[in-house]
Amino acid sequence: MSASISQPTGPDTPGGKALRRTIISMVGWIGCGIGLCLVIFPLLDIVGVVTVNGLAALNWDLFTKNTGGAALGMRNAIEGTFIITIFAMAIAVPIGVGAGIYLCEYGKNKTGSTIRFLSDVLTGTPSVVLGYFSYIVFIISFGWGFSLAAAAITIAILIVPYLARITELALTQVPNTMREAAFALGSNDATVVFKVVLPAASSGVITGALLALAISVGETAPLIYTAGWSDYAWSGKFTHSPVAYLTYVIWTFIDQPDAHSHALAYAAAFIVMMVVLAINIGVRLTVKRSVR
Amino acid sequence: MTNLSKLLRTGVAVLAIAAAAGAAPRAAHAQVDVPLIESGSSLLYPLFNAWVGSYTASNPSADITTTSTGSGAGIAQAIKGLIQIGASDAYLSDTIVKKNPTMLSIPLAISSQAINYNLPGVGALNLSGPILAGIYEGKITQWNDPAIAAANPGVALPAHVIVPIHRLDGSGDTFIFTQYLSASDAGWASTLKFGTAVSWPAIAGEVGAKGNSGMLSALGNNPYGIAYIGISFADKVKSAGLGQAALLNKSGQYVLPTVENISAAAQSVATTTPADERVSMIFAEGPTAYPIVNYEYAIVDSHQPAPAIAEAIRDFLKWSVTEGNASSFLNPVHFLPLPPAVQALSLTQINNIQ
Amino acid sequence: MKLRPFRTAVLGLSLLIPAALVAVVLFLVIYSGQAMAFNGFHFLTDVTWNLGDLYNDPVTVKGIQVPSGAEYGILAFIAGTLASSFLAIIIAVPLSIGTAIFLAEAVPELERSARRTIPWLPPIRPVLAMLVELVAVVPSVVFGLWGIAVLIPFLGHHISPTGNGYGLLAASIVLALMITPIIASTLYDALSQVPKENRESAFALGSTHFEVVTKAMMPMVRATLIGGVVLALGRALGETMAVLMVSGGGINILPTSLFSPISTIASFIVSQLDSAESDPTNMAVRALSEIALVLFLITLAVNAAAKLLSSGALNVRKH
Repeated sequence: MSASISQPTGPDTPGGKALRRTIISMVGWIGCGIGLCLVIFPLLDIVGVVTVNGLAALNWDLFTKNTGGAALGMRNAIEGTFIITIFAMAIAVPIGVGAGIYLCEYGKNKTGSTIRFLSDVLTGTPSVVLGYFSYIVFIISFGWGFSLAAAAITIAILIVPYLARITELALTQVPNTMREAAFALGSNDATVVFKVVLPAASSGVITGALLALAISVGETAPLIYTAGWSDYAWSGKFTHSPVAYLTYVIWTFIDQPDAHSHALAYAAAFIVMMVVLAINIGVRLTVKRSVR
Repeated sequence: MTNLSKLLRTGVAVLAIAAAAGAAPRAAHAQVDVPLIESGSSLLYPLFNAWVGSYTASNPSADITTTSTGSGAGIAQAIKGLIQIGASDAYLSDTIVKKNPTMLSIPLAISSQAINYNLPGVGALNLSGPILAGIYEGKITQWNDPAIAAANPGVALPAHVIVPIHRLDGSGDTFIFTQYLSASDAGWASTLKFGTAVSWPAIAGEVGAKGNSGMLSALGNNPYGIAYIGISFADKVKSAGLGQAALLNKSGQYVLPTVENISAAAQSVATTTPADERVSMIFAEGPTAYPIVNYEYAIVDSHQPAPAIAEAIRDFLKWSVTEGNASSFLNPVHFLPLPPAVQALSLTQINNIQ
Repeated sequence: MKLRPFRTAVLGLSLLIPAALVAVVLFLVIYSGQAMAFNGFHFLTDVTWNLGDLYNDPVTVKGIQVPSGAEYGILAFIAGTLASSFLAIIIAVPLSIGTAIFLAEAVPELERSARRTIPWLPPIRPVLAMLVELVAVVPSVVFGLWGIAVLIPFLGHHISPTGNGYGLLAASIVLALMITPIIASTLYDALSQVPKENRESAFALGSTHFEVVTKAMMPMVRATLIGGVVLALGRALGETMAVLMVSGGGINILPTSLFSPISTIASFIVSQLDSAESDPTNMAVRALSEIALVLFLITLAVNAAAKLLSSGALNVRKH
């Protein structure tokens, strides 16, 4: 196939119709290209704004000093986001991927479609509602206070449905012939899933995990009422000890009157982006290598 | 629900064990001193940050975290004991004090608010409570309305629709702005009243914005707009080329939010401030008194669970209303220090924290 | 019957999702009970939202303590939510389809021919795909800031008849930009998974490349596309910060044009929560819980509709 704009190849195609089809194809490709541009340019602009302002604000203090009242640095926030995300993912990934496996492999029934349905409904829950739920239940009723435990569970509830659905979508793309072959060789359920289906769908599952990671790193609303905020490093306690996080820096400092705070907010946004970009590239490289 | 929480608790326990190794060296660093959390008003937040930065520099054992959540959250969380110091632009209402008699409202500094406008070609503008009420109720819709023209003789007012801009999120700025409207306009006082969020009347073309930064952007983006913006943003408003209106005070004078006019209001209320310091400074007496001025409060429970916590709170708050009232802290945000009489009242209240 | 431990285990894990949802919904129902009793049906049909006088003694209505003058009607927010989300989907779906098709099908060929003249050309596709995924992590506050700094002045100067760019259209465009990557990347993944045989048989029938994509490949990924759209719609319905910053925050007003100020349910909850907390009777917070419950019902309805659609799509595929 030469280039994307192709010639009709059928020998008996009448000329006029062929021309029409070529034109339709041309218009179609141009339309798709315009769509891409309409998406790429604003997104490029948004990413550019964060990069330019973020780079300008970067300095070593950001990584070595805590916020400590005077907005000196954000080591505490970087650490806090890292810790919250790790614990949230540790809770959410087994549940989400497990649910995705069930939905795709065994969930073509009433139970499956009910779970699928409710999972989509949970996706539509505004994160602030989950945050408020956790605030009343964990912080106040359980008496945990602002804490890592509450924050991680809240984020986990938030990302599990994404993980489940994207895992399912990824597994669905694996051809059934592969499963049948594995079963024919006498493999059991777990072996088929872990040795055949999951590896074949790994890029999709990892995309889902990345999206979940991105959401958990980028969320603010559910953390304000659960993690609280701390100007210092995490104390190591799961309850009764607030945790700092990067999005707080963005959300709060962007609304301060002084330029210094603004710079800190953009630096935080830039770091969030870079961290996820790094994970993204890293994962991509490993996936490629393992596939070969 | 209990099943879920059990499961979640189990999950957390498992994770806790898994992480114990990594977390252990950290836990050793856990504070021997008392960690305090301040949370609430976003207006007070920059000042608290400056205070804590300087206070902890001279008191290395102090461990105070500052958080910006909103006055409502600050008050609610202070009452629930989740935080030690709630920051609020408003004093506690009678209803809350009746329910929670141990909660104190302690003024820490004085703040004010400017009414800003984006009117190409208009250099100075006089406005009054009733005019502003009319604009935000949708009764005054044109800049050349007779009411505005009467307050501004000789000013060429454009024949253009007014774009009223208000805060969308709950805000101390909305609280003091609507208090001014309630104090100076009987119609507003009987219908919309005041609060951190009010039921803004429907006006086609109005804009709701988030935060003072959002107000500033919305005003810049909307020629013929009008907005109320906290005084700490005054420098930014000026550099954006937006106007600052003179407001009609109780004595019938149009006054700007200058240091002199704000202190005039503060002085006139200082003498009438009661022992519990719950008083409005809005629309104060005095020929030069600026009408939108308020105390910024620390909301603290006078009955703390441990003497050490009470002591840490007392030490920090005492420092705030004395050394912390120095101009080096207050000038960057355009706040003013407490008058001596009010400072004495605040210190008395602080000493009651046990 | 044979015991299948693996199936039971993954079923157990997947049941945690509905369990979490049920926990949240139960909490909201219990928490908003008093508000429901106080509001009745007016909650859904009234446009007026008023927290009432939070600084005076509450009054007792129908045996329930509420701030005087309190009135909770959310019709305007329901309208704002539905209008902005659906408009966002209408903008995002064609853009996503175009983007995904172009990335998956046209870019590799363009790249191949371009590399003939410029051999050192870096790989375009992974870079573009990366950019699309990167956007998913840009905090929504940043989208809001971009909206205020770039989009609002543009709409105000060039499109809006009143010169005021805030409102329904601005909110929808920002939402569309936020969800396009979700739809586009799901679709892109699905397109690249279409078996070679299906493509090649379509080519063999004499189709142009574009026809292969639209007639042979797209029908195969339709269910995935709908799945992606539902995910995206969920995100749009629940998005708060970016919408809050550009929507103009209309309250007590129903949207009548693309430039009407609107509030969505999610953004409204965020904006009111702080003030609601200062309500000594707690009724405002309960009313917000009730709003959250309404949002649940809306997502429920949206998902039900999507399910009908996608089952229809599956039928088409079977023929």
